[in-house]
Amino acid sequence: MNTEKFLELLANGKNDTDFEEFLKFVSDKLWNQYNKHLMDEILMTENKVNGIALNLPNASENKPYEQTIDFGDTKIAIERVDGLSAETHGLNVTVCDDKKSFKIAGTPDLNPIRNAGTEIESTFELTVFYKYEGLCLPPKKPLLERKLQLVINQDPRYLWKNIPVDWEKMSDPKYEKEDADCQYVTVKALPDGTPQKDIVAASKRGRSHAQEGKPRDDDFQLYHDEQTNWYVIAVADGAGSAKFSREGSRLACNVTVEVCKKALSNCEKFEENINLWHIDQKSEDAGKLVSTDIYNILGKAAHKAHTEINAEAAREKNRPKDYATTLLLAICKKFDFGWFIASFWVGDGAMCLYDKENHTSVLLGTPDEGEYGGQTRFLTMPEIFANPTDFFSRLKCRIVPDFTALFLMSDGVSDPKFETDVNLNSTEKWNALWDDLKDNGVELTDDNEAAKEQLLNWLDFWAPGNHDDRTIAILY
Amino acid sequence: MRRLPVYLLLDTSGSMYGEPIEAVKNGVQTLIASLRQDPYALETAYISIITFSSNAQQITPLTELSAFQVPQIEANGCTALGEALELLAKKADAEVTKTTADVKGDWRPLVFILTDGNPTDDLNKGLAEFKKRKFGVVVACAAGQGASTDTLKQITESVVQLDTADSASLKQFFKWVTASISTSSKSVEESGGEVSALSELPPPPPEVNIVV
Repeated sequence: MNTEKFLELLANGKNDTDFEEFLKFVSDKLWNQYNKHLMDEILMTENKVNGIALNLPNASENKPYEQTIDFGDTKIAIERVDGLSAETHGLNVTVCDDKKSFKIAGTPDLNPIRNAGTEIESTFELTVFYKYEGLCLPPKKPLLERKLQLVINQDPRYLWKNIPVDWEKMSDPKYEKEDADCQYVTVKALPDGTPQKDIVAASKRGRSHAQEGKPRDDDFQLYHDEQTNWYVIAVADGAGSAKFSREGSRLACNVTVEVCKKALSNCEKFEENINLWHIDQKSEDAGKLVSTDIYNILGKAAHKAHTEINAEAAREKNRPKDYATTLLLAICKKFDFGWFIASFWVGDGAMCLYDKENHTSVLLGTPDEGEYGGQTRFLTMPEIFANPTDFFSRLKCRIVPDFTALFLMSDGVSDPKFETDVNLNSTEKWNALWDDLKDNGVELTDDNEAAKEQLLNWLDFWAPGNHDDRTIAILY
Repeated sequence: MRRLPVYLLLDTSGSMYGEPIEAVKNGVQTLIASLRQDPYALETAYISIITFSSNAQQITPLTELSAFQVPQIEANGCTALGEALELLAKKADAEVTKTTADVKGDWRPLVFILTDGNPTDDLNKGLAEFKKRKFGVVVACAAGQGASTDTLKQITESVVQLDTADSASLKQFFKWVTASISTSSKSVEESGGEVSALSELPPPPPEVNIVV
């Protein structure tokens, strides 16, 4: 049949005008029907594709991410994927050659959004634009879409706020304290060039305190006597739950160092006893003399600090427990025969004499750890001084030929670095800490004053779940 | 690091179909999204979802927030709360690290139970298993008037009730659960102390009534 014949049949004997109207009517009707059919097809296809389960694991900021998302449908042809970019999110999206899958790769970085001042939601929407084989798409909807959600976890470092302490509004007594502190005590090399040990210490407010705008509760105090060559180091950790513990820790350090300083400025008898003890370490008499001396110096220093904290609490009509603090205190001096070290320790944290060359580490006491975290003992507790045997066990002394470093630290450092008491006794772990310091910018070389800032920066190390105040003092 | 495990036990029985289940889905979505912004929770809180209808099923094992993906939740069937408690006990045994001499274990798990009806299975067996384990705060929420608060009181001291299981009330409930998880994770990180009673959680909003 030719076209003319076909038209003649279709015209059905009507005149041209009528026929034209008729054709318009039929065409419109059929086109509508056809379009509706297409839309149904599109809807069905989109529903089908939306129902495909896709594996899109969460990404985390600053952690490399690479994931290929495969639709597993041979008829899909992905055109492009919108919603992520290297500039804004640090992630590139590329459609794979087969057009059935696409790849998200890169190291997420949300700083561009953060820096633009927009609040960051962790969920980002991606739109996958695709064609579908056998499906005719109208010009007004040339591509089908599937929405996807990608979670990019923010780096927790950015979630922690650093809120300054509002000292103006702080209730009295304010006991103002800097958020960070560091100090270097240089003991110059001898005229013959022999280096002498120095002390470096740093203390920093923890992230959990910064988040709340609370002050630092830790403290430390260092001293070196130019005349007698005695070193004195104190580190104290004010209890997080005690309202004025920042003052408790300050008093604990200041008072004890002050007492030791005075006692050691004139201590010939003590040094004689140390000499005797050195000559015969088995001698009970010499041992007794030295322990009595240590009791008279360190024990009395601790007790004086306890008394002064009580007195301060009474003055301010507070309870002594509001000033709860731990205390790690060490005195030492180099003699002809080696080093003498004596210490007092109450509470948690760590105090350790570390010798890298001989591969030894000796804890100068036992950390007071409760069955549960946070149940430590404090200098402010009267029971610390009630039982003489218990009190004497907190005092330690020893003589060693030499050592690499004497460490004193609050649990803000020892918890993340050692985790358990078992590890505190592991020399491997102390080796690891020594290397950690060295590898992360702390140059513990003779007379390096810059080490105090380096140590302060080092205290920013990241350990999930460990955001307490951190204090460390090193004699090396 | 000591984790803070959180178990959500959600009723997905047929009566939850429609508005309530949509509200639960949104609630979980918002809960996860908000906790992701909280540095304490992001580091310590681990979440698991157990749903119960004709059976109990752990649809999300205990998962850290950063890796958590909100699961599909659908409503149909009965209310196997007893089985859910039994499953909770079993999963807690398997997933929560116990404290030993060498390892500091996880904190005691927080449990939030949401139901709009009475158990259709035998509650006692599951209840007995549940009671043998040590959990932290356990909160049971009766969504609407269909759930007996007396039954829930057998599970825990801490029972709350929503007047109706509508989306506004459920939204408030999940908001409060979110705040409670935030508070708990902060408490364990900051003072090393666990939250052990309802009174230590943030006060619930007016839509969430405490059943005394």
